Amino acid sequence: MQPVVAARGLTHDYGPVVALRDVDVEIPPGVTGLVGANGAGKTTFFRILLGLVHATAGDVTVLDADVRRQAGRVRGMVGYMPEGECLPNDQTAADFVAYTAELAGLPPGDAKRRASETLFLVGLEEERFRYLGDFSTGMRQRVKLAQAIVHDPALVLLDEPASGLDPDGRDQMLDLIGRLGGFGINVIVSSHVLTDIERTCDWVVMLDAGNLVRSGPLEAGGDLRTVTVEVLEHADAVAEALLRRGFDVTVAGHRFVVTGEDGSTETAIVEEVARADAGLLRMVRGATSLEEEFLSRAERR
Amino acid sequence: MTDDVIYDRGYRRYDGPRLGVTGARRAVIRDGIRRVLGLRRKARRKILPWSLLAIAAMSAVVFVGLHFASTRIGIEDPSLLPRYGELFDFFSWVGILFIALAAPTLLVPDRTQGVFAVYFSRPLTVGAYLQGKLTAFIGVTALIYLLPQVALHIGLAFLSEDGFVQYLGANLDVLWKVPLVTAAYLALHGGLVTAISSVVDRTGVAAAIFLGVLTAGGSIASRIGLLDVPFARWVTLLALDQHPRIVRDRIFEITTADYPAVQAGFGVRTSVAAVLVVAALGVWWVYHRYRKLA
Repeated sequence: MQPVVAARGLTHDYGPVVALRDVDVEIPPGVTGLVGANGAGKTTFFRILLGLVHATAGDVTVLDADVRRQAGRVRGMVGYMPEGECLPNDQTAADFVAYTAELAGLPPGDAKRRASETLFLVGLEEERFRYLGDFSTGMRQRVKLAQAIVHDPALVLLDEPASGLDPDGRDQMLDLIGRLGGFGINVIVSSHVLTDIERTCDWVVMLDAGNLVRSGPLEAGGDLRTVTVEVLEHADAVAEALLRRGFDVTVAGHRFVVTGEDGSTETAIVEEVARADAGLLRMVRGATSLEEEFLSRAERR
Repeated sequence: MTDDVIYDRGYRRYDGPRLGVTGARRAVIRDGIRRVLGLRRKARRKILPWSLLAIAAMSAVVFVGLHFASTRIGIEDPSLLPRYGELFDFFSWVGILFIALAAPTLLVPDRTQGVFAVYFSRPLTVGAYLQGKLTAFIGVTALIYLLPQVALHIGLAFLSEDGFVQYLGANLDVLWKVPLVTAAYLALHGGLVTAISSVVDRTGVAAAIFLGVLTAGGSIASRIGLLDVPFARWVTLLALDQHPRIVRDRIFEITTADYPAVQAGFGVRTSVAAVLVVAALGVWWVYHRYRKLA
């Protein structure tokens, strides 16, 4: 099967800071997760795929087109949803999405029709004539997704699409992303929330400080003996306390994985988090191989 | 039990035409014109541009009214009445205000709202984006200069004793003189205000700086330029606003003011050069700035 992205020896630096280091990767069709901590090189990778920055070294093809030589052609076939703010407050959703379709080369009439259809698809049909400045964060993320697919791209690059969303909004966004794969659109979605990747993707590319550490299919099913915990602060103190209580604990930054057979593990975690005033952000039983792999690699680093 | 069916429109593929960078450039032009005129925007965004256009159009009505009145009271030499060249002066502040509004409106919001991340992920290039913006700027600002002149031309043709068609035939030179003078105004003011708008992140501040530079330049030129000190005469050139007016006076063969540069001995060629230099520097500056931003 022809890969949607193929990179050979891809390297990029910003002066002394190396964003990507000799990355060799082939991404197959389907929904792919690009995971890595902040600063791992995910956004730089996207910008290289779009031809917005040229790699310091190495070659990359997107949908069989050389990005360096055919950047315009590539950008016509690719949709991009940036992580940051990118919506003009003084335009309606329908006008903005139609305008981005025209920027992708669609004639005005077709652009207007596609904008309407795409906003319907992302659940904003009723709100499409409202000004973007009046939209909530969740609605703005949907508009960002709509503009990324309005020109019917063969590949969409989604940069942290669920960023800033509440649990409901996150859920809906992940559902939408999952549906894109079903429409025959190839997707590369970047995130540092591994459960999002596990939920939507069938292939995963893992970057760590600019190095490729894994590219392969996502294996389903987690180890039900483990509990993955994320706290606001004092992760080390909580982990130490749990170790003293006889649990096996692996720490990486604000996250740690605790191994324990029964329900008392969660109780112990909650007690120690409260004692250390660490602020519990997330606690999931059954951490998958991806989460463990990420943590173990981060720990080794 | 009914036979109702829920249809999910789902996702439809697009297999229509794709116009590439040419289509993208046209989209930037259309969006730019709409944005300056406040079209498809909230009502309050329409007030200023349309008020200025209305005032500019009214100035032509005043001129036509003057000519109409002169025919009634029987002025012996109608050529003494102000016409096309003088009309530029009559509404020049409206034109400058409109330019001060248009360029920042075209350039600043795109930069500050982060939309480049979306725009330049399309086939659109920085060059095509700026060409589109420049075309929109010229198109919409030329409107405010040409609209009153067209209204005056038609009004004078109607009032002419020789008849409408004969008047138009006898005044064909207006067809090149007015666009040429308009180009001089747009080149100088446009070059300056786009350069300012490319670095200032608030539309109102960019407009105020543009107006401030014009005012300060004129003030410095008239106070220092004519002093008896070395290089003082070159300071007269800082009155940027005078250069398109000097060009205008030459083209229409009229004299409307004592310009500092003319008093200091500079001719129309210097003013043409000043207009071209400011326009070229503005375009160069904006292009290089945006290449770094995109």
